[in-house]
Amino acid sequence: MPLKEDELAKIRKARQSWENGTLKRSMERLGLEKNPVELYTPLDSEGQDYLENVGFPGEYPFTAGRFAIPILNALWGRGKNLGAGKAIRHAFGYSGYGTPEDMRDFYMEKDKSPVRGGGPNIAFDLPTQIGYDSDHELAEGEVGRVGVAVDTLRDFEIIYEAFTGDRNLDKIASNWTINATTNIILAMYIALAEKRGIPMEKLRGTPQNDILKEFVARGTQIFPVRPSMRMTRDTMTYCAEHMPKMNTISICGFHMREAGATRVQAVAFTFANAMAYFQNALDAGLEIDRFAGQTTFLNFGGGMEVLKEAACRRAARRVWARIMRERFLSQDPGNWIYRELGGGLAGYWPCTKQRPLNNLVRIAIGAVLSAMIGDPPALEPPFDEPLGLGHSIEARQLAADAARIIVEECNLCDVQDALAGSYYIESLTNRYEKEVFALLGEIDAMGGAVEAVESGWMKLEVVKSAEEFQRKIETGEVIQVGVNKYTEPEEIEVMVPRTSPYRAERKEDAEQRQIASLRKVKQERNSQKVQRCLDKIGNAAKDEQVNLIPLFVEAVKEYTTVGEICGVLRNVFGEAR
Amino acid sequence: MNEEKTIRVLVAKVGLDGHDKGALLLCSRLRYAGMEVIYTGLRNTVDQVVATAIQEDVDVIGVSILSGSHRPFAEKIIRKMKEKHIEDRLFVMGGVIPDEDIPLLLNMGVAGVFTQSSNFQEITDFIRNNAKAAGCTK
Repeated sequence: MPLKEDELAKIRKARQSWENGTLKRSMERLGLEKNPVELYTPLDSEGQDYLENVGFPGEYPFTAGRFAIPILNALWGRGKNLGAGKAIRHAFGYSGYGTPEDMRDFYMEKDKSPVRGGGPNIAFDLPTQIGYDSDHELAEGEVGRVGVAVDTLRDFEIIYEAFTGDRNLDKIASNWTINATTNIILAMYIALAEKRGIPMEKLRGTPQNDILKEFVARGTQIFPVRPSMRMTRDTMTYCAEHMPKMNTISICGFHMREAGATRVQAVAFTFANAMAYFQNALDAGLEIDRFAGQTTFLNFGGGMEVLKEAACRRAARRVWARIMRERFLSQDPGNWIYRELGGGLAGYWPCTKQRPLNNLVRIAIGAVLSAMIGDPPALEPPFDEPLGLGHSIEARQLAADAARIIVEECNLCDVQDALAGSYYIESLTNRYEKEVFALLGEIDAMGGAVEAVESGWMKLEVVKSAEEFQRKIETGEVIQVGVNKYTEPEEIEVMVPRTSPYRAERKEDAEQRQIASLRKVKQERNSQKVQRCLDKIGNAAKDEQVNLIPLFVEAVKEYTTVGEICGVLRNVFGEAR
Repeated sequence: MNEEKTIRVLVAKVGLDGHDKGALLLCSRLRYAGMEVIYTGLRNTVDQVVATAIQEDVDVIGVSILSGSHRPFAEKIIRKMKEKHIEDRLFVMGGVIPDEDIPLLLNMGVAGVFTQSSNFQEITDFIRNNAKAAGCTK
C-alpha cells in the first residue's frame, strides 16, 4: 500500500532537516560543495503499490522474478550447472571451431571429463552464418575461425556423431547461434533426425534466429529486412505445426548493448524487435498463446553499474508482461513472462585486456546481482574474453567456481528478490519502465521495429550511444580500471597460465580440409537432383506465402550446400543494404 | 614551406566479420582530428579494399578484424599493395588480435597493430606521425 500523505509529509520534513543539519555539517567538514552520494527514501517510491508494482515471483507483473522458484534452484546440483555461462543442458558451453570432424572430436574428448550433459551449443563460422560455402571467395581466411564450418548435411552428420545412444537427438536439446541461415540448419537437423529414425516432433533446440538485431549490431544478415522476416515467419509457422518442442527464436538485447546501446535502448529495442516477430507470426495466422511458448529471449546485455542493471532487468520483466497482456491479449499467464535464462548482467564489453584477471571480479559482481534478482549467477564471459577467441579451460574453471561460491557459500539464491522494497531499486525500476515504454512509443510511431531497422534508425541510435560513451571514457567521466585510470608504471600486470580448449594446429588447416570435404560431397551427390531442388526453392521464394523449410529439407537431403541455397535466395530476395 | 596536407584514411572491414563498433568509433575520432575518412562498410574483399584505397588516393589503410583471420588477411593485403605499387601507404590493423600475433604482423609489414588496449589518441597520433612520412615519398 502506498504511504499516506501525512507519513510522507513527516519524512519530507525530516529529510529537509537532515539536509540542513547532519548532511550540511558533514559536507562542510569534508570541504564538499555537492553531495557525492545519492540517498533514496520512501519519498522516491511514492505511490508504489506492492501488489501492483512488485507482486509475487512467477505472477504478473513478474517484477520479483520470472518463476515462483527460480530456475537455478530447480536445476542446481543435478548435473546441470549454470555457473559458467550458457552451460545449462549444453555440453561445455558455447563453442565451435574448425571442421565438423574437429567439433565431433572436441565433443567426444570432453565427454570423458566430468563435465557432461546435454546437447551441443554450437558456434558456426562466418561463412556458414552468412550463407557462403567454404570454397567461396569471401570465405577465404574465415573457414572454421569463429565457429565450425557447415556446408552440407554431411557436416551435420559428422558433428552429431558425438551425440548418439543416450544422447541421441530425441534426448538432447541443441543450441545453434545461427540467424540468417537458421532454416537451412534446421532443415539439416530434421533431415539428420529422419535418417536416424527420429520423428521431428521430438526434436528440441533453440536457433538464435533473431535477424533484426543483425542489422543493428551483429552484421550477419544476408537478405533485406522483409524477406528476412518472411524466413522467420517460416520458422514459426513450420515449428508451430511440426515441431512443438523446438524453440523458434532467441530474441537478443545482448548484442545491441555490446554494440553501444544504453541499457534502456537495449531493453526497448529487444522488445520492439520481439513485437515485430510476434506480429509477424500473428499475421501468418498463428495464435499468441500457441507460439509464444516456443519463443525465447537471450538477455539484455549488461554493464558495470550493476545495481542499475538489476533494476532495469526487473523493469524489463514488468514491461514485457504488460505488453503480452495489454497489446497481444495473451490469456495464458505462463506466456506473460519471457523465457530467458538471464545472466550476463555485467556485460562482456566492460572486460579489459589490461590486467584481464580483473574481469573475473567484474563478472562475479554482476553474477551476484543476477542471483539477487532471481536469475542464475552466470559468470560470463570467462576472464580471458578480450585475449582472443576461445576461453581457456582455466578461465572456465574459475567462472564455474565463482558461481559455486555465490550459490553455495554466500547462499545468495536462498532468498527471492532480496532487493524488493529497496527505495533505490524500486524507484529505479519504475523509472526504467517509463523510459522503456517511452522509447517503444517512439518506435511504434515510426511504424515499428521493421521500419526502425530498415531505415537504419535503430543502428544509428546505437552508434550514437557508443560515441557518447566513448567520449565519456576519454574525458574520464567513465572510469575503466587499468584502461583510463590506474595505468601508472607501478601497477603490475598479473596473469595465470592459459590452456586453449581447442587444438590450434587444427585451426590452421581447417579451411583446406573443409574445402576438400566439400569437393568430395559435391562429386558424390546427384547434381541433377540438387539443381531441381534449387530451382524449386528459387520459384517458391518468389511467392511470399510459401514456407520454404520443406523445400530446404528436400534440398539438404541431396547434399545441396548452404551457399547454393543462399545463392538462389540472394537472386530472389536481393542482398541486405 | 611545409603545408599540412589533410591525411586521408580508408577504414575497412575485410572478410565476413560484422562487428563494426570499433571501426565506426575510429572513423569519428579521426574525422574529429581533422582527417578525411572513408569507411568501406562490411564484407569487403582484399581486392576491393586496395582498389578503393587507390581510387580514393588514401595515405592510410586501416583494417579492422575481430574474427581471428588477421594473419591471412594481412598477408594478402600486403601482397596486393605491392602488386598495385601502393606499398608506401601506411597499413595499420585493429581488432581482436592476440598479443602473440602482433610481432608476426609487424614483421610482415603491418605498420601498427591496435587492439582493445589501445586508445584512440594513440592511434590518431600514430597515423599523424607516420602517414606524413609515408605520404612524402609520393
